[in-house]
Amino acid sequence: MNKSKPTCKDVMTHICDNLGEGLDSPKCITIKAHLEKCENCQHYFKSVESMIEFYKKYNVTITEDQHNGLMKCLGLKE
Amino acid sequence: MNELKLIKQAQHGDKKALAELVKLYEQTVYNFSYKICRNKERAENTMQETFLSMVKNIKQFSGKSKLSTWLYRVVSNHCLMLARSEGKHEFSSFEDVEATIDEKEIADWKVTPDRVTENNELKKILDKAIEKLPPEYRIVFTLRDIEGLSTEETAKMVKLSVPAVKSRLHRARAFLRNELNKVFKYEQK
Repeated sequence: MNKSKPTCKDVMTHICDNLGEGLDSPKCITIKAHLEKCENCQHYFKSVESMIEFYKKYNVTITEDQHNGLMKCLGLKE
Repeated sequence: MNELKLIKQAQHGDKKALAELVKLYEQTVYNFSYKICRNKERAENTMQETFLSMVKNIKQFSGKSKLSTWLYRVVSNHCLMLARSEGKHEFSSFEDVEATIDEKEIADWKVTPDRVTENNELKKILDKAIEKLPPEYRIVFTLRDIEGLSTEETAKMVKLSVPAVKSRLHRARAFLRNELNKVFKYEQK
């Protein structure tokens, strides 16, 4: 990567590598500068964050039958 | 009663304490199992195997790590074993990191994560995308990004080096974003 002028692809690779960490470190200054000006990369950054949020919010709940089946299988039936 | 006290009592054969520990962690274990297996039947089977292992080995639990960490490890190993026995996945497509980022396909997504809880179509899209990820990548992504473990904790749990975890995480993120982008760039708000 050319540190003085990263390309969009450099920035996108960096986002997937460092999302949520290290964006304040000195070596990330050029990446941040690019990100602030480039709408394309902002969309990319936002979409990676959203992708993670989608999976975070997708949860399943154990049913009463599953709970009872588990306790029975473990010999811990109440 | 606190967790350590319950563990001590369970280690001395107290079935009520064991049942309390199961109740304390069954939701977490089932949810995590589902996130890795992406199938309710397999997740239930994995949850049962995990707690059977806990019941069998509780006396050996030293308390050096959290019980939840120990349970995550059992779930991860069980899911990997299941996946390997089925031998479904090919890994070659994940080797080329650069190929997973397409600069021309950047769109502002019109769909937002708050719609996921009630939207079954959306759930199917998310399931379909993550099922394409090899389980080794899915586990790293889930532990690190969804469950919020640090890179070091994830590395320890899956017995990989920190750079190997970072590499898998990078590929998983780029791949999943691209898969969802194929659908979400056309979705309406």
